[in-house]
Amino acid sequence: MKIAVVGKGGVGKTSVSAVLARSIGRLGKPVVALDCDTNPNLGLSLGVGDIETQRIIGIRQQVSDREAEHAHTWDDLISRFGTDAPDGVRLGIVNRIENPEPGCPCCGLSAERLLSQTNFGESIVVGDFEAGLGIFSRVGESQIDITLVVVEPTPRSLDVGMRALELARKNKQGRFIVVANKVSSPAELGLVKQSLAHDDIIVIPFSEALVDADRRGISVFDLKDNETFITPIERLAVELVG
Amino acid sequence: MAEKSTKTKIRVAFVGKGGAGKSTIAGTFAQLLARSGAKVVALDSDPMPGLSYALGLDIDDMPIPEDTVIEGPLGGPKWILKPGTDPEEFLMQYSIPTDDGVRYFQFGNVQGPWISIIKPQHAWSEVVSKLPQLDWNIVGDVSGGLRQAMNGWTKYADVALIVVEPTVKGVITAKQLLKMTKASWGPRIMRIVANKVQSDDDLEMLEKKLGVPVIGSVPWSPAILEAERARVSPLVHDPQGTYVEAVSNLIPRVLKLYDIPIDQTY
Repeated sequence: MKIAVVGKGGVGKTSVSAVLARSIGRLGKPVVALDCDTNPNLGLSLGVGDIETQRIIGIRQQVSDREAEHAHTWDDLISRFGTDAPDGVRLGIVNRIENPEPGCPCCGLSAERLLSQTNFGESIVVGDFEAGLGIFSRVGESQIDITLVVVEPTPRSLDVGMRALELARKNKQGRFIVVANKVSSPAELGLVKQSLAHDDIIVIPFSEALVDADRRGISVFDLKDNETFITPIERLAVELVG
Repeated sequence: MAEKSTKTKIRVAFVGKGGAGKSTIAGTFAQLLARSGAKVVALDSDPMPGLSYALGLDIDDMPIPEDTVIEGPLGGPKWILKPGTDPEEFLMQYSIPTDDGVRYFQFGNVQGPWISIIKPQHAWSEVVSKLPQLDWNIVGDVSGGLRQAMNGWTKYADVALIVVEPTVKGVITAKQLLKMTKASWGPRIMRIVANKVQSDDDLEMLEKKLGVPVIGSVPWSPAILEAERARVSPLVHDPQGTYVEAVSNLIPRVLKLYDIPIDQTY
């Protein structure tokens, strides 16, 4: 099963991806958290720390394009170049931009290519996408089983959310679920529902614990009073794979 | 040609992690600069809407038509502007003016496949590179993260300002972005603009971890979201507020960076 987590920058994609991956792991399922951002920081939200997050080498950086396509299996790559995160999650980074002018971003191994051309077998892959919709628009048709469109109740994020839903529909990316994050009032939830006109929706109220986790670069699982953020995502994990 | 001003022209790009506040600050910066009487173009290379909101423009898309370019000669760019195109006239035709006189210039949003915006992108880049340097101030906004910033999308900029929230993710992103100065096309000077800081400790932390001066600090303000919801610019919505004051303070500080000798960089 392939799950894509998409949305505008800053809405909470990475935090949602990390909690979903760990919740799936806690249910005893094999899970890979795939950081599809060329500025990877999913490791922080998973709880592996900033040093390890900056150390992990991107799969693209380790193998040439030819080798990646022919000589290795995906689990070989992720087991060699990824790292272990808590709750049995295996973390992999697709492509890390380390320096200016890193080469053509549309050639070679990319998140869109890896997700489009790879069958991940029994594993559940949670792909944390780059902000915006570039990668998502380039994933092949019907290659994603579940798309989580993360939004917050701001016009700009809802604008991106709307475009994401259109793309998911157009490219037949399975089931799409809106994750309304940082919702502080019924009026804000109303705004989300009115803008997106989509019934399959999960609401996450504004969470102080999440703000604190982000400031400190740790997993929200490691903080007290984190239920506001975690519980809705845990429920989603059970619904999807439980 | 109209009279040329000898005043320094600012050519700045705002970069940073997605959601850090680049577009909002860039938009207000451009408007304030234009109010001082300068010619300002606000460049938007983010295929997602952002800067248009910050400028209070109620537009969804303003694509550059594909037929503005022709195939380029071998060994050069794939697409070039039609011969005889005047970059300034092109800008005036395909940009949108704000009430303050800022020219908002983008190449269009992603509608269909990715490939569909390649021609407008080429036209946009070439016009930007050929704008008369003595006339125009440039305030650019790139898409969040590293992809555009590390791939030469800010070639026009002398100065790049990294907008950073005081979070570990913000710091990690900024550390990578600081490498832009190593590129041949990179900005000469980079500085930090701290956004949504809660205390002076945050500023100290940023300077210590990044080793680059913080040139300004922009406080969190509810006026920004209110303005976004009302689809007006924060500058119009709350002209006397702390947010506008903070961005306004940035302008003389950025101008001052131009006094730094040309061989000195960060």
